[in-house]
Amino acid sequence: MITQTAIITGASEGLGKSFAIELASRHINLVLVSLPASGLPELASFIRKNFEVKVNYLEIDLTLAESYPAIFNYLSAEQITTHLLINNAGLGNWSWFEDLNIGFYKKQIELNVITPVLLTRLFLAQADTACTSYILNVGSLGGLFVVPKKQVYGATKSFIRYFTKCLQLELHGSNVKISLLSPGGINTKPELLVMNNKLKGISKATIMEPGHVARIAIDGLLKGKKEIIPGMINRVLVLLNSLLPAAVKEIIIRQRLATIIKS
Amino acid sequence: MKVLVTGATGFIGRQLSLILAMQGYEVKALCRNTDHPYLIKHKNIEPVTGNILYRQSLGRAMQDCQQVYHTAAMAKMWCRNPDDYHETNVVGTRNVLEVAANAGVQKMVYTSTCGVWGPTVKHPMSENDPRIAGFPIAYERTKYLAELEVQNFIKHGIQIVTVNPSRVYGEGPVTESNTVGKMVSAYMRGKWRFIPGNGEQVANYAFLSDVVEGHIAAMDKGQSGERYILGGEDISFNEFFNTVCEVSGKQHRLIHLPLKAIEFYSHVEKLKTQLTGLRPFFLPEFAERLKYDQKYSSNKAITHLGYRITPFAEGMHKTINYLKQA
Repeated sequence: MITQTAIITGASEGLGKSFAIELASRHINLVLVSLPASGLPELASFIRKNFEVKVNYLEIDLTLAESYPAIFNYLSAEQITTHLLINNAGLGNWSWFEDLNIGFYKKQIELNVITPVLLTRLFLAQADTACTSYILNVGSLGGLFVVPKKQVYGATKSFIRYFTKCLQLELHGSNVKISLLSPGGINTKPELLVMNNKLKGISKATIMEPGHVARIAIDGLLKGKKEIIPGMINRVLVLLNSLLPAAVKEIIIRQRLATIIKS
Repeated sequence: MKVLVTGATGFIGRQLSLILAMQGYEVKALCRNTDHPYLIKHKNIEPVTGNILYRQSLGRAMQDCQQVYHTAAMAKMWCRNPDDYHETNVVGTRNVLEVAANAGVQKMVYTSTCGVWGPTVKHPMSENDPRIAGFPIAYERTKYLAELEVQNFIKHGIQIVTVNPSRVYGEGPVTESNTVGKMVSAYMRGKWRFIPGNGEQVANYAFLSDVVEGHIAAMDKGQSGERYILGGEDISFNEFFNTVCEVSGKQHRLIHLPLKAIEFYSHVEKLKTQLTGLRPFFLPEFAERLKYDQKYSSNKAITHLGYRITPFAEGMHKTINYLKQA
């Protein structure tokens, strides 16, 4: 069997870093993509040393239009064909719509929407049709539930949901498998580490560790699962969401909103 | 020269206070209770009542101090109020930093932990290696967040060096956070009966005297903004108990307990604590950690600080002699 190679965007921190470790532990070579000065050279050398896989890395800004072809030009110059694409890079927010400036939303939409679409397009163009290729799009449960203070983020993840589901139809029967990962809260960035650990009850129980989410996600991706929802409680919430009538859901969300406004 | 040591009744802080006092420093020993039994009495040690959560008390304590060793932390395995970790380790550190900057302190050594790296894969971790696991353990999470506070503060002109001890053992009281001391003293009384899994899991054990010397060297020679691992030898559980057995001359049969059983037991303990509020003996996040090695390299400290590692057998010999007398 040939050794596979995976591209991971947003690989330096959080879930992206966990994807890198998880794939390396399965002997898959890596191409890590992240912003400059985010610790990518150190991560790459650590993985090479400890897992004995090949690791290339690119320090670029994925909101710049020239970055997309730059990745694949680099790969063809290095004669690397990739078999997995992990569209992980993304920008979250937890704030009222009017609290952030237009520059932030532009960047958020570019990173969460334009980047995965264009990378998927370029990835498919270089894919080896003789073997199976895999694409993992990182969505969010926020793409399914309407959550206040996540207006643009949730909308970008809804976009990813539609995009992924539609490509699954288009590519049915081909040698390409596309999975949508819909996680709940994950303990990644420092501010989330603080916030998530203040939660109580069900909210706290939906929070997961990045290494655990990455393991479940890669298992699901390689099995060709269409949608991966890590965590039992999150799956129950999704089930409830499809069972409850719209009117009841609206009451719940309004109550949630009332407590958020108070706090 | 006047220096402040926070956490002066702690396992590292008390020994550090003593060595500094013996070297002729005027040590202000910050503690919440100056009658604390672990506070060392010495003519150069001045006990100062204070709490890193009360900034006023810190201001008084830091008056005329040119150097600060910030060793105070919440290092217990479990707290009744889980917010205590964040309060003490993150907010407390922020207080110490802010007050030190205002009080004109020149240099500070911050005691972090190898726990900010946590589990290792194959080779020992060094300072530039990334953390590979999440932060389910509150102590590690809050010490990592405190390191970020320190990094933010370097810009304010005060020099801060971070040291990262591994699992510290040595000649000191068996406190709640002194896990090695608890294990060894229980073994000597015949009360420690098991080895986790196959006993091949490796951890790094740092001898207290080495760690104290490392703190003082970090103050003298450490570069501001840098981190230095202060570790010891990488030792498996099997090697650990073989050494303890040889050195103490006490032979007790130890049972290898399967990790699955420990994991199950840890969930029972967690449930017990949730239902009754009683202190757990063990928790699932620690059971998970038993699957991994924790190996660390002290090479940076050896090269740049002149750090020295006491061989494990020699360190354990001294530790056991201390525990026998205590």
